[in-house]
Amino acid sequence: MRKTWVVTFETYLRQIKSWSFLFMVLGPFLMIGLTIGISYLSANSASSSKQVAIISTSQPLRRDYIKQQDSGLNTKITTVSAAKSAMGKNHLAGYLLLSDNQQQIRADYHGSSQMSRALKAQTQNFLSRYQQAHNYQQAKLTTKQQRLLARTPVLQQHIEKKAGTANLAKTISFWILVTMIYIILITYSSIAAQEIASDKGTKIMEIIFSSTTATSYFVGKITGILLVILTQIVIYLLGGWAAFQFAMNSASLKPLITQYQSLIDAVLHNLLSINLVYLFLGVIIYTILAAYSGAVVAKAEDASKAAQPVVMLGMFGFFATFPFQNNMDALLVKILSYVPFFSSYFMPMRIINGTVNGWEQTISLVVLLAAIALFAGYIGSQYQRLMLQTDNRSFWQHLLHGWRHQS
Amino acid sequence: MLSIQHISKQFDTVKALTDVSFDVPNGQILGLIGQNGAGKSTTFHSILNFIKYDGTITWQSHPLSSDDFDTIGYLPEERSLMTKLTIEQQIVYLARLKNKSAKDIRPRIDDWLGRFAVKGTRKSRINDLSKGNQQKVQLICTLIHHPKLLILDEPFSGLDPVNADLLKQAILNARDDGAAIIFSSHDMENVSALCDHLVMLRKGEMVLNGTLNEVRSQFGKTELYVTTDWSATRLTTLPGVADVETRQPGQYLLHLTDPAVGPDIFAELTQGHYIEEFSQQPPTLDEIFRMKVGEDHA
Repeated sequence: MRKTWVVTFETYLRQIKSWSFLFMVLGPFLMIGLTIGISYLSANSASSSKQVAIISTSQPLRRDYIKQQDSGLNTKITTVSAAKSAMGKNHLAGYLLLSDNQQQIRADYHGSSQMSRALKAQTQNFLSRYQQAHNYQQAKLTTKQQRLLARTPVLQQHIEKKAGTANLAKTISFWILVTMIYIILITYSSIAAQEIASDKGTKIMEIIFSSTTATSYFVGKITGILLVILTQIVIYLLGGWAAFQFAMNSASLKPLITQYQSLIDAVLHNLLSINLVYLFLGVIIYTILAAYSGAVVAKAEDASKAAQPVVMLGMFGFFATFPFQNNMDALLVKILSYVPFFSSYFMPMRIINGTVNGWEQTISLVVLLAAIALFAGYIGSQYQRLMLQTDNRSFWQHLLHGWRHQS
Repeated sequence: MLSIQHISKQFDTVKALTDVSFDVPNGQILGLIGQNGAGKSTTFHSILNFIKYDGTITWQSHPLSSDDFDTIGYLPEERSLMTKLTIEQQIVYLARLKNKSAKDIRPRIDDWLGRFAVKGTRKSRINDLSKGNQQKVQLICTLIHHPKLLILDEPFSGLDPVNADLLKQAILNARDDGAAIIFSSHDMENVSALCDHLVMLRKGEMVLNGTLNEVRSQFGKTELYVTTDWSATRLTTLPGVADVETRQPGQYLLHLTDPAVGPDIFAELTQGHYIEEFSQQPPTLDEIFRMKVGEDHA
């Protein structure tokens, strides 16, 4: 056991200390940081030139407009000449001239390009309301008459919920989960296969197998790689938590989060559940298969090709989920949710959709755990032979050869 | 004691080992010689359980198992280390796999680097070392945990005479510590200098087995070294001389057909006078090796 930990520790440290791991883990944070930074800089530099000034000889009219919406407006400029001057210096996108001539409200926009859709809608809305209030006042209507005139027809959609149809939270959870499983599987399958394949046929393996058993070494390697995966997940969870805290303290993002709080809670509930167990077990079984693929390459130089069979299987599982995301009751989905290598994609889908009971989940988990144990035991027993030999047998020939040796 | 009894190994249609038996007692060195493909590495792989074989191999009277790994030092034929590690990391990693703690091993590293005159410090990366220095680091990895069973596959290959002497000394030290040592070599001089016991394999079969003297004596004293003013042509006329080799001007090696002719040649060559060199010996190991290989080719 002690030697297994020595191998685990060495594998873990070697991966963690590599530049590729650092870039892999920090990559998404750097990308997000870079995007936010560039957006911020761009927004800051462009914000003043995108503003619109509101100018009117009627101060109440101007005040009411600004009161309705002040974002994107330059409230300091109050005259046409000042607005024109600011436009000439590219500090202003345009100005809106509001007037009230003979009980008719009018707005004239002057700018170098069309009004933005939001500003146009906002202005039309304001003008309609203002004109209507004005009209009611001029017509001397009673409150009852005003209410009757304000009455509008109603159009409402009533959609019957079909079985198997995911709501928004389910859809978001589904995509986050399968994408997360897919990315982690593909990334670490390659790492595991290359880690093992680079040792293939080297004499250092002979030295190692004269020091510890092949099974112990194999388990140590796999555990080391799993710890690296765990490290990355923990870093992302911490990063996610830090980003959430940042957003909650950000004046501009907090309202957005509060608005979608129930959706965020539902998605987190779907993700931080037994689905994480499926994710982790899925990663384990794919990593073991990847290690086997690495061990059956002809020579260490073929390490880059080693992960191909596993990557193909992982991609197949990922893309196979697409047609069924709105049809979780399909027989194939039910079958695949029990099949190792696929259950990590399909059972979480069914769990998110709420179409599976506890017993079915337990059976699927037991099948997956048994497959992992059998698979690890089989490969552990073949590992020394596979790692020490150098021949040109294919993946499938090795598999058949292994079975014959077992029997 | 390492005991190998009647081991045989077949790869598909090729017989790699046939009924090979020998012992390596503690505190003794056994040299395993043979041409390339004779079965030396297969013997080592069988001892280490890398391959399945027929027959029995025991270490200290029990079948070798993972419990014995910590007492084994193994140097494979081709050299291979983890090139991205430093010397210290590599030595400590492999020593920890032998159940030694890093705390025990680290203080010994500088002493071993000095003993093998490795050009580099403990912080040097393996990748930055010359091939010869990498080989020395690998030797240190094999020896630093004081193994009781030392298996060295072609340990002298690629070492210059100075470094070969350093290795010889390390092997002798391990023997003095009581280790059972088995090594293969193509250099008969090293084998002669180190071995208590010798086994020669030819196409997987054992063709020689015994102490150096026993093996040489099997062939009789058919080599006669003389220093004389006789010419090579004249020497061939002597009775029982099959062939004459000129070693240096005036120094010859006479191959005899029968060791018994020695006294007659001595009488005729000296005529009762002083002679600088007259030494009748069995064939050298090198010659025996060539003879045995030649038998197969004949």
